[in-house]
Amino acid sequence: MSTSIQNSPGSGTTAAPGKPIGELVFALLIVSIGVVGFVAGAGIQTPTSASDIGPRAFPYAVSALLVAVGAGLVIQVLRGHRGSADEGEDVDLDAKTDWLTVGKLAGFVLLHAFMIVPLGWPLAAAILFFGAAWSLGARPWWRNLVTAIVLALVLQFVFGGLLGVSLPPGFLEGLGVFGG
Amino acid sequence: MSSVDSFFLLMEGFATAMQPMYLLFALGGVLVGTAVGVLPGIGPAMTVALLMPITYSLEPTAAIIVFAGIYYGGMYGGSTTSILLNTPGESSSIVTALEGNKMAKAGRGAAALATAAVGSFVAGTIATVLLSFLAPYVAAFAVQIGPVEYVALMVVAFLTVGALLGSSVLRGLASLGLGLFIALVGFDALTAQQRYTFGSPFLADGIDVVLVAVALFAVGEALYVASRLRHGPIKVIPVTGGWTSWLRKDDLRRSWKPWLRGTFIGFPVGTIPAGGADVATFLSYASERKLAKGENKKQFGKGAIEGVAGPEAANNAAAAGVLVPLLTLGIPTTATAAMMLVAFQRYQIPVGPQLFESNSALVWALIASLYVGNLMLLVLNLPLVGIWVKILQIPRPYLYAGILVFAVLGAFSVNFTPIDVIILLVVGILGFFMRRFGYPIAPMVVGLILGPIFESQLRRSLAISQGDPVALIQSPVAATIYVVLIVIFALSFLLKRRQRQFEAMVAANADAPDVVRGSVAPTEGAPVESTTPTTSTSTSTTSTTTTPDRKDTDR
Repeated sequence: MSTSIQNSPGSGTTAAPGKPIGELVFALLIVSIGVVGFVAGAGIQTPTSASDIGPRAFPYAVSALLVAVGAGLVIQVLRGHRGSADEGEDVDLDAKTDWLTVGKLAGFVLLHAFMIVPLGWPLAAAILFFGAAWSLGARPWWRNLVTAIVLALVLQFVFGGLLGVSLPPGFLEGLGVFGG
Repeated sequence: MSSVDSFFLLMEGFATAMQPMYLLFALGGVLVGTAVGVLPGIGPAMTVALLMPITYSLEPTAAIIVFAGIYYGGMYGGSTTSILLNTPGESSSIVTALEGNKMAKAGRGAAALATAAVGSFVAGTIATVLLSFLAPYVAAFAVQIGPVEYVALMVVAFLTVGALLGSSVLRGLASLGLGLFIALVGFDALTAQQRYTFGSPFLADGIDVVLVAVALFAVGEALYVASRLRHGPIKVIPVTGGWTSWLRKDDLRRSWKPWLRGTFIGFPVGTIPAGGADVATFLSYASERKLAKGENKKQFGKGAIEGVAGPEAANNAAAAGVLVPLLTLGIPTTATAAMMLVAFQRYQIPVGPQLFESNSALVWALIASLYVGNLMLLVLNLPLVGIWVKILQIPRPYLYAGILVFAVLGAFSVNFTPIDVIILLVVGILGFFMRRFGYPIAPMVVGLILGPIFESQLRRSLAISQGDPVALIQSPVAATIYVVLIVIFALSFLLKRRQRQFEAMVAANADAPDVVRGSVAPTEGAPVESTTPTTSTSTSTTSTTTTPDRKDTDR
């Protein structure tokens, strides 16, 4: 999303920086999910023997809710009523959105998903932790690395070994304490 | 069921919960719960969601006791954060943060922590007693209601959770709708027809509730915080003195009434779906502020102990109150309660009105473990506060990287396929944008969980009435429920408006330096003496101090 680089001046009482395009797109997305709900809902097979309202009615009702609420939100956003972004202890609402970090984190989660099977869970998890901590600004790299490896081994030991969750142990294959 | 019967059942519950193994599980639960309550970015709902797939090997009673411990522990931990962390917190804890944080800055952090912990214990215990004696009666009523009344109750839950949690009604309803929609994907339970699967075999089984919950809570939160991470050192206000001297006689004298008032405000508010603990803490704070007299009243906004004691008690009592509709009707009114419901479902325990009859031993063991957990939390929180302060100082990159690792662990453990991790990421990105644009998460989770139950009850009702929708409001009980719904709505909109005005005033007060405060406060209508600034500037510390001096604001 490249919509929220700059702050619109005088955006009123709400705290969300950036132009409302992103918010508008999100509201339109809700409308379109509702529309998809109607279109795809028409394809739901209804057994003729069904005496009650059948499997199609409730999907239609939910789709109608999404279209109506989404349309209301589009109008609200266009009129300048913005949502107030979530607050939190670690959230600095005045900070500019750091899309690069968000992208890096998402990338490392995706990488992790593809690494679990070839490398095993502990190694894939260590890579995810190391990458995420680095993306979020943790230095120096060697401390991140040590923390990542220790955490991955502890989790593999507790959940794979003690609690019997079948996490693929990867290079720890054959070691009973790691559920291998 | 008479109250004598339920007393004996409760004693049997204690017999179960007091077994060493279950005590250990309860201890583990409250420890984890306190830790996640202390840590920003993690809540009890997310923790229960995360632990669900990875505690599969536990037997149901043990798992439910762990989750109950997390549920209560999270409430205790949150107060430590809002008192000691020097950043504006979430609005749910805003009142504690307001007075507690001011107290801590004035060197009275220990007293604030102590009144919060003891108040939580008092409120939690009284509210659990109320729960033990009220719940069987509600359950006895609940088994008599049919699908039509059940539909009415769920409409109440949907609309109140959707419209009242969060600041925007439309955004809450949109979130609810998204949850209901995701719940529709997969096979229809009644006719076995595929819905919204788009021919994909992965979607045919539906999207797992736990996966969506972990994605929304954990991944969405981590991505969102990463987008606006607060940099710089974490300013934790140090606590001085041994814990035995924390609550002085004077503090106790000023605290015990707010504790009790908070309990009796919080519990009923928790039992009705009217916005959860948020409303309860606000109501308690407002009433304490009104009831305070003389010197004590002047301290409000600058660190009044009543303003910590009351809301903290209300918060915990509301948490127990939420369990009444959850255990007796199977209706969750908060995100954490919704996750508890999923936990029951995972262990094949039928939730709903029959729970008290069909799984009486488990329910009473759960309630007994709440008493035990409360006592453990009191013992843990007072002497061990140093540990929680350490946890509070975990470097944020490690904290959020760790949350992501736990999230992928939970997601992968659902079905042991990496595709679930990709679904986790996609739904997590959705959660990120929801946070960014002010959409509350809880209605989506509640919709996701209650949606299928609601649909089947609705279709059952309409099958009985042969498709006549008027039957849905014709039953006297259902009609009463809808009338109550309208009343709840009218009341809570009034309440919300007052809360917003109040928060705006509080925010204005907190930002303004002390000298200005006297001129801002009267706009709220409260009779604040205009002489306040001149008499109080000498005793209250200004908001610019980061290291607290040992000034005593009491006298």
